[in-house]
Amino acid sequence: MNLLATQICLLSLTIVLCVDAQHLITVNGEGNKSLSIIGEENSTQPPANLVTQRSSEAETIERAGEDLRNNEIGRRVGAAKLLGKYRNSRTSILLVGALDDQSPLVRRAAIVSLAEHASNGFMVYNRSLVEKIYSKLGDSDVEVRREVSTMIPRLVSGMMRSGMEIVEINGRKVYRAVPSTMRPDLLGMTLKAFLDEDAIVRQNVLKYHIYLNVKIPVETLERLLSDSDLGVLLTALTRISTNASHSKIVNQVKQLSNHKDRGIRLKVVSVARDSNRYHPGYRSILRNMTKDSDLEVLSMAAVELARFGERVPSAVVEQIKSFLLGASGMTTQVTTILYAVSALGVDGIGVYRALTDHSSSKIRAVAWQRYINLSAGWEKSSLWLPAIKDRDKGVRQNVLNSLRGRTNNLTEKELSSLVESKFVDVRIFAAQCLLSAKQNAVDSLGFDLLIDEDTIVRSTTIRAMSARRVPGWVKVMSRSLLDDDYVIQRAAMDGLLDDKKNGIPVLLEYVKKHPQSRISNLARFELSKLGSLP
Amino acid sequence: MMKFLFFLIFNFISSSSLFVHGVTQARDGSVRVVQLLKEENGIRRYPDALPSLLKMMNEQTNARFDTDPLYINTLTDERLNENPILYINCDEQPNLEFSDEERAALRRYMELGGFVYLDAGIKASFLGSDLGHSYAAWEERPEVRELFAQVLPEKTFIPLPRDHDLFRIFFRGLPKNKDLKIQASQKRLPETVLNFVEREKWPQATYSFVGIKVKGRLACVASPICAMGWGRDEFGAWIPPISFRIRESAENFEQNLKLASFSGGTYEVTREDGLKDIIYSESGQRPLWVKEPNGSWRIFKYYSGEEISNYAHAFYSRLGMNVFLYALLH
Repeated sequence: MNLLATQICLLSLTIVLCVDAQHLITVNGEGNKSLSIIGEENSTQPPANLVTQRSSEAETIERAGEDLRNNEIGRRVGAAKLLGKYRNSRTSILLVGALDDQSPLVRRAAIVSLAEHASNGFMVYNRSLVEKIYSKLGDSDVEVRREVSTMIPRLVSGMMRSGMEIVEINGRKVYRAVPSTMRPDLLGMTLKAFLDEDAIVRQNVLKYHIYLNVKIPVETLERLLSDSDLGVLLTALTRISTNASHSKIVNQVKQLSNHKDRGIRLKVVSVARDSNRYHPGYRSILRNMTKDSDLEVLSMAAVELARFGERVPSAVVEQIKSFLLGASGMTTQVTTILYAVSALGVDGIGVYRALTDHSSSKIRAVAWQRYINLSAGWEKSSLWLPAIKDRDKGVRQNVLNSLRGRTNNLTEKELSSLVESKFVDVRIFAAQCLLSAKQNAVDSLGFDLLIDEDTIVRSTTIRAMSARRVPGWVKVMSRSLLDDDYVIQRAAMDGLLDDKKNGIPVLLEYVKKHPQSRISNLARFELSKLGSLP
Repeated sequence: MMKFLFFLIFNFISSSSLFVHGVTQARDGSVRVVQLLKEENGIRRYPDALPSLLKMMNEQTNARFDTDPLYINTLTDERLNENPILYINCDEQPNLEFSDEERAALRRYMELGGFVYLDAGIKASFLGSDLGHSYAAWEERPEVRELFAQVLPEKTFIPLPRDHDLFRIFFRGLPKNKDLKIQASQKRLPETVLNFVEREKWPQATYSFVGIKVKGRLACVASPICAMGWGRDEFGAWIPPISFRIRESAENFEQNLKLASFSGGTYEVTREDGLKDIIYSESGQRPLWVKEPNGSWRIFKYYSGEEISNYAHAFYSRLGMNVFLYALLH
């Protein structure tokens, strides 16, 4: 499991983004001169005359190695920087050696170059070298410590590998696995680093201690849960699981539930939810947080309680409603709360009803869908008819998808509301509803849909009329075969093909009379499949 | 003072509720940003970026944005003209080819007062198809140039000067510790990084932007990818991690880099002053070093870590908010 986590972490680190920028140095004439040496833009190889000036990789590394022993700090810094561009075991050894330089500038340059190797896929696996790098977690320079702590996921595989040893038992050589363990001095250094004076180091060690198989002591975690740095606090909260049942930790989380930063309080909600199974105190923390001054925190806590099956007081439900009504769009938290409102049961229906007027189309879409589904709204047109007047197509589509196939026996008045809609998608739905609407509604409104300006509405109407066999349907189909639009002709043909007694003769006659029509070819083919050759 | 002025100006503008001639804002008065996604189901590298930025603007300014961008997949979508800002992440589009109708619609949109933000509209040639890196070249990418040669043939992109209002309309200067939510006593960035950032990378919190004016108004800007710095998770922590590419020097370094072993390709990148940097890059590796037009050589070093990432995110978000707020006010 740890290995998998390490791999995931390494993968995530390899996709770290990189940014660069411009600079403002003014340029003299020499700049232009040098351009001509370099050659064309995007050339894949440097010009030959430039290559000949350059030394080989071995020479470059050798020279840098010498520079690392130079008396001048600047030379040693430059050498350490340059070695970052050449990834091999020789440069690793040189750079690891430079980590003991008395100048922090050289040590910084060396550790940054080693990190560059790692980010370019070259890992140091030699255990003694890796341990040397890791030991710089105790360096006196904060920049070095930060860089080492950032590198922990990349050092783990080299440092924590299990091994094999040969022991002699009763005169026989026996191979025995040696579990991965951290050197005691490094373990002590790691435990100390949890409370490093620098917040970034503390945060990194907290993030990665699991990969190192180093357990965080309860007292240390307790101190970190009262850290003054928000990043450390957030990370510490994600690391409580192994100590979650400890009353000291529960108390600390309880205190954080009143933290002034909203992000921390939101994190507490999430941690309390996940730790609920370890200690009853976490449920109590959630209950207290339903009184939070921030509506978002309050709502998150309340819906989590509702998900546990607890009844949420109506005053809190009202506050959830206020929060959602005030939201300016679908953020992650709003989405979570919006969907979780279903867990509030009957109270939730009222919240969804209120949100059907929200300014955000995404929120309206979800609210309408949930409202209709939770209140069996498809049976009451008064509930859903306002939704199909929504200006946003996405909202209407959501509603229509919830209604499709569920609305039966629409009355003339109900169907009329759909037929008169200015939205094509609603009129298409109206045409689909002809299949199950009351007969008088079909009689009085079917013709309106048949002459609709939109082709899809007309073709859907034709298909519904033929399926329903409304009086005079054969005539409608035969007229429709004469339409210029292929979609209409196709709908009429399909309708006629379904009725062997009345439809097929009409279609046969049409094909005979209009052999050159676009639909006739297909009609002949379909008729021959049915054994009714013209 | 600046923020107070902004408050007044914004309230005035929002009360007028008109940004593009004859069109209105969202129903509740909030401004809806239109985002182009030519392929609705295409791979999106930073799907949460724009909603996060819009939410931040609602929290930190008096502007009111709908945090749901309105996604359109064609520029002829009639809803485009109902909203004042069009955001296009050029890296998220399969291509930047548009029909005659779409190009005409884009031109009309800008002429009517619409503002177009082309994120990743600048991209250095050596980055190739790597979408996750930015590099501050000072010219628009070739596809963008080609597109706008057809949309506004009489115009060309011009670099925005460092003192342009866009960089200071609301946020000014580089992030401080309080912006990063860390202790005042805590060291922000490694010294070399901070030095380079303040003097060269983002001086006075500026960045390489190019723009086109229409009827005297800045109607379109292009920048290196900024969206990667806008994302926040639900607890307020930045996502994803960002590292810095820094130019560094050292004693006797120019001679060393001239002679150092190298077998890759070279690339030219346009600088702010119009001259070219020569980037030395080896296949499969990050760029190695650069020869600058004044003849000096510097090596690229890569710095990563929580503090670096937080700093970059804070900068990009402040910059992004400035762009959208500028768009609203102009």
